[in-house]
Amino acid sequence: MAETVYILCALTSVACAVLLLRAWRRTRMKLLLYSGLCFAIFAVNNVLLFVDLVLIPAGDLSLARTVTSLLGSGVLLYGLIWDVS
Amino acid sequence: MLKTLLDGAVMMAYLSCALFFLRFHRQSRDRLFAFFSLAFALMGVHNLLTTVVGPDLDAERRYFLFVVRLVAYLLILGAIWDKNRAGRGTR
Repeated sequence: MAETVYILCALTSVACAVLLLRAWRRTRMKLLLYSGLCFAIFAVNNVLLFVDLVLIPAGDLSLARTVTSLLGSGVLLYGLIWDVS
Repeated sequence: MLKTLLDGAVMMAYLSCALFFLRFHRQSRDRLFAFFSLAFALMGVHNLLTTVVGPDLDAERRYFLFVVRLVAYLLILGAIWDKNRAGRGTR
């Protein structure tokens, strides 16, 4: 069950990134670009989550997961503050 | 210590994004922004729970926390689907 949740998290974040970046290519709206990039980094984060908790349970990638979360949300926040507002 | 500090920064970033989207929703009355705001607030809650409750949970129960994150992602997908459907309707 845990594996299913982690895989679904990864798949849904990839789907969000693809849909948002496709919408950005169509409309060129900056907000969609930053949201898409944010979810692309979240997708990396969710792959790391699966690797950390399922594939290598003995290892600890929690710092890398936190850093990617910070990077993803930071990209969106940068866009919201400097480019969109 | 460093990880806790970074987790706090991540939660703050999520909640700030949620507030920005809430402002956009109030300005435009667009449902998309309301969904985005709710999703980022949920991600903030997930982050808080993972930091506060997560370390006390065993491996079998830890994944329950990630259901909150999954719901947030599904909300975003729902928001995009809702927006696309509305776009087709107005054409």
